[in-house]
Amino acid sequence: MAITRVAFAHASEAELARLFDFYRITWHYEPHSFPIAWNERGRPVEFFTPDFYLPEYDLYIEVTVAKPVRNTRKNRKLRLLRSHHPRVNVKLFTRRDVERVFSRLKRAS
Amino acid sequence: MIGDPLFDAESIAGRVSAIGAAISADYAGKTPLMIGLLAAAATFLADLVRAVTIPCHIDFIAVNNYGDGEGILFEKDVAIPVQGRHVILVDDTVDTGLTLQYVVKRLLERCPASLEVCTLLDRPHRRIADIEIKYRAFEVPDVFVVGYGLDYLGRYRELPALYAHGTWPA
Repeated sequence: MAITRVAFAHASEAELARLFDFYRITWHYEPHSFPIAWNERGRPVEFFTPDFYLPEYDLYIEVTVAKPVRNTRKNRKLRLLRSHHPRVNVKLFTRRDVERVFSRLKRAS
Repeated sequence: MIGDPLFDAESIAGRVSAIGAAISADYAGKTPLMIGLLAAAATFLADLVRAVTIPCHIDFIAVNNYGDGEGILFEKDVAIPVQGRHVILVDDTVDTGLTLQYVVKRLLERCPASLEVCTLLDRPHRRIADIEIKYRAFEVPDVFVVGYGLDYLGRYRELPALYAHGTWPA
């Protein structure tokens, strides 16, 4: 997916997309929404949409920019996603994770 | 910025010796080609090659830095042909695994007889590419490690032990 065509919700997501482009990895931005809660009639009432899907690894990546103490809501959604969709491989990247990935890449001076 | 070693020189030597023995047994009767990823893996490879008891060849690969050009590529390629060789790719740290996977893919295109990965440090916290690591010296938590060839903006490569640096480069 071309970065210029995507309206990322946060700069950290755009940074990760640039990283995937650097490694020539195919990525899709928010391609799937997974139901994580249903009403009494069995209709989904809540969804979780991971930020990236990397088909080469069959891996979803969710980027969170909130401070760890404020991640409760997102962690709950991740727990539900993993519980209801155990075959979906999803990884949470915090802002610190994104920063540290780029730190390592810059280490070689 | 650095305190007590995460792994002192003696611990490193012990792990290098153990990996050298494992490689010597696994490749008995063969002459593996050990390829180091420059620059951080050079120290590890230099010690490792002296810990194996079988003949082996060494060479190096360097990839470009993030932000240089359109994407990742070999800035320095191996001089020894890979085709038909038993290759051991020696890295300093496997983090996301993306750099290593790129190198593995490019080398596999050249039809080696086999290819295995050896790393000094395995930091699985942010792994994206599920690379199989046959030989690992240490698994480390989410800390920035310097020493024994690993740098912080060019510093600390000369230290004989591995240390956690207090900060990550901005």
